[in-house]
Amino acid sequence: MSQAAQATATQAAGNGQRISLLRVLGPAHVWALGVGIVLVGEYTGWNFAADKGGALAALITCWFVGILYTSVAMIDSEVTSTVAAAGGQYAQAKHIVGPLMAFNVALFLVFAYTMLEVSDAILARDTIVAFAATEGFHGDSFIALVIVVLAWLNYRGVLMTLNVNFIITAIAYVAIVVLFFSVQPWSQGVVLKLNELVTPQNALPYGWIGVIAAFQFAIWYYLGIEGTTQAAEEVRSPSRALPYGTMAGIITLLIAAALTWYVCASLLPWEYLGITVYPLWDAAKMTGSPFLEFLLFVGTILAAVASANGCINDAARAWFSLGRDRYLPTWFSAVHPKYRTPYRSILFLLPIALAFAFIADINQAITFSILSGVLQYTFMSINIVMFRNKWPLGTIRRGYTHPFHPIPAICLFLLCAITFFAIFLGYGSQLIAMVIFYVIVSIWFHFYRYRYVRRGDQFTMPWPKPKGY
Amino acid sequence: MWFTISYIAWAISAALALWMLYDWFKTDTTYSEDQLTSSREGEIEAVSEKHKV
Amino acid sequence: MAKYTPPEQDKALQFVDVGFLILAIFGALWLPLQLGLAGAAKAIDKIENPTWELLGQNATMVSIWEKLGYTPATAHDIIQNRFHYNIDWLTLVLMAAVLIGYYVFLFWASDKEYREVIAEKFGDGK
Repeated sequence: MSQAAQATATQAAGNGQRISLLRVLGPAHVWALGVGIVLVGEYTGWNFAADKGGALAALITCWFVGILYTSVAMIDSEVTSTVAAAGGQYAQAKHIVGPLMAFNVALFLVFAYTMLEVSDAILARDTIVAFAATEGFHGDSFIALVIVVLAWLNYRGVLMTLNVNFIITAIAYVAIVVLFFSVQPWSQGVVLKLNELVTPQNALPYGWIGVIAAFQFAIWYYLGIEGTTQAAEEVRSPSRALPYGTMAGIITLLIAAALTWYVCASLLPWEYLGITVYPLWDAAKMTGSPFLEFLLFVGTILAAVASANGCINDAARAWFSLGRDRYLPTWFSAVHPKYRTPYRSILFLLPIALAFAFIADINQAITFSILSGVLQYTFMSINIVMFRNKWPLGTIRRGYTHPFHPIPAICLFLLCAITFFAIFLGYGSQLIAMVIFYVIVSIWFHFYRYRYVRRGDQFTMPWPKPKGY
Repeated sequence: MWFTISYIAWAISAALALWMLYDWFKTDTTYSEDQLTSSREGEIEAVSEKHKV
Repeated sequence: MAKYTPPEQDKALQFVDVGFLILAIFGALWLPLQLGLAGAAKAIDKIENPTWELLGQNATMVSIWEKLGYTPATAHDIIQNRFHYNIDWLTLVLMAAVLIGYYVFLFWASDKEYREVIAEKFGDGK
C-alpha cells in the first residue's frame, strides 16, 4: 500500500472529519442504476434504427449491438471491480491511460448522460402532451418538473434516489413483459401480424447499407449500462456488487430489447415505427385494450423518469471527480455534509440540462448522447488491453476477471468503428462538430489547465508500479 | 384541467429549486471550504482492499 | 523526480475556466442546431395524388395507418421521407482523419502526462 494512501486512510479513521460519499448501496441498486438509465431506450429511440434501415435492420443491429454491450459489460466489470472510484471510467482512464484521456472520458460521460437526461425530459413532455390531447397545451412545465424534482431527489441522498429508481424501473420493465404476454406472442396472426408488416419487399428498404446505418440508433437499446460504475464509491462491496449488478443488468436488457422489437414490429408499419417517439405506447394502442394502453403510457413516463434520475446521478459524479483531481476548480468536489452527495455538481448541471431540454429536439439530443457514448466505448476497448499489459493477471487483485480476453476488446473496437460509419451515414456533420469540440478542449487541457493538477496524487490505487514504466 | 396541472408543476419546480438554492447557501456558509472538499479518491481501497496476491 | 507543486489558481481565473467550458459546451451542442447541421439528412420523394397502393402499403398496414388516424395524403410525408445513402468519400476521409487524429493526440499526450505521474508516484528507479 502506498504511504500517501495509508496516511489518508488513517487520518480518515482517526478524526472523522472528512466528508465522503456514503457507502450504502447493494447489487440491486447497481442494477436499478444501470437498467433504469437504459430502459427508456426500449420506450423510445431504438425505433429510429428502423427509420435508418427498416424493421429487420433494427432487429439485426439489436443483436450485434447486444454483442457490443456484452463486451462493454464484461470489460467494465473487470476494470471497475478493480478501480472502484466515483467517476467510473474516468478513474479507470486516469490510472491506466493518463490524465488527458481521463479528462476526455469524464466529458464523454457528462455529455452522454446530460443529453440522455434531456431526451428523457423531452420524451416525458411529449408523452404527456399526447396523452392530454388538449388544444394549446404544450407541457413545458413537465420538462422543468422532471429535471428539478429529480435533481432535488439526487441532492437529498443516493440511497433514496436509487430505491425510487429500483421501483419505477421494475414497473416499467414489467409493463413490457405484460404487453408481450397479452398479445399472444405464440400465435402470429391473432393480434401480431409480423409477416404482413415485415415483408421481403420492405424488410430492408435500403439494403445492407441500411443495416450498417441502423447501428447508430441500435446503440440506444442499451446505452448507459456502463453507468453502473459511477456508483463505485457508494456501494458497500464494489468488487462484488458491480459485476453482479452490471451483468444482471445487461441480461435484463437483452431480453427487454428482443421483446420490444417483436411486439412493435408486429404491430406497426416500419415507416411509422421509424418516426414515432413512443413505439411501445403506440403498439399498445394498436391492441385496442385500454388497460394496455394506459399501462404502457405509465411505463413510458416511468422509464423516462428513471433514466433521467440515473443520468443526474452519473453526470454529477463524473463532474465531481474532475473537481476532486483539480482538472476543474476544486469547488465542484464538495460533498454535502448531511446528505453526502456531490451537491454543487448536481446544481451546476441542472440549468445546462434545462436549457437544452427547451432548445433541442429529441433525436438530436439522442445523437449527441450516442456520439459521446461511442467515443467512450472506443476508449474502453483500448483501455482493457493496456490494463492487462500494465498489470497482468496475478499482479493485482481483481474483483472479477472477464473471459476470452482479448476477443471482447476486439469485438468492441470493430463494432465501434462500424457505428462511427453508421453515424456518418445521415449525421456526419454533427459527428465532426462534436469531435472538433473534444479536440479544442483537449488542447486547452493539455497545454493550459493541466498545470493546476498535482501529478503523483492522481494515482490513488494501492497498486504496484505498472509494467514498462 | 391540464393547464392547472401545468401551473402546479411550475410551482413545485420553483419551490424545490428555491429550496436547493437556500440549502446550498446555508451549507456553504456553515461549513468551511476545506471540510466540504475533503473527499479523496481511493480512501476505502486503502483500508479494505489489499492488492496483494 | 522532484515533486511538482501546482500554482494556486486565482478565484477569478477559476470562473474563467468554468466559463470557457460552458461556452465550449454550448458551442458544440447549440451551434450545429443553429446552423442546421444537426439531425438526419433526409428528403421527401414526392408522389402526386398518393393512394395507399402507390405508397406500397398492404391491407394490414392500411388498417393500422387508419387506426393511427392517417390518410394517404397525411402519411405521404412520413412514408416518402427517405435517407439517400450516397457515400461522399471526401467527407468520409475527412471524418476518419479527424477521428483518428483526435485519438492519436489523446493517447500521445496522455502517455506523456502519465509518465510524469508514475515517476512522481513511484520514484524514478526502475
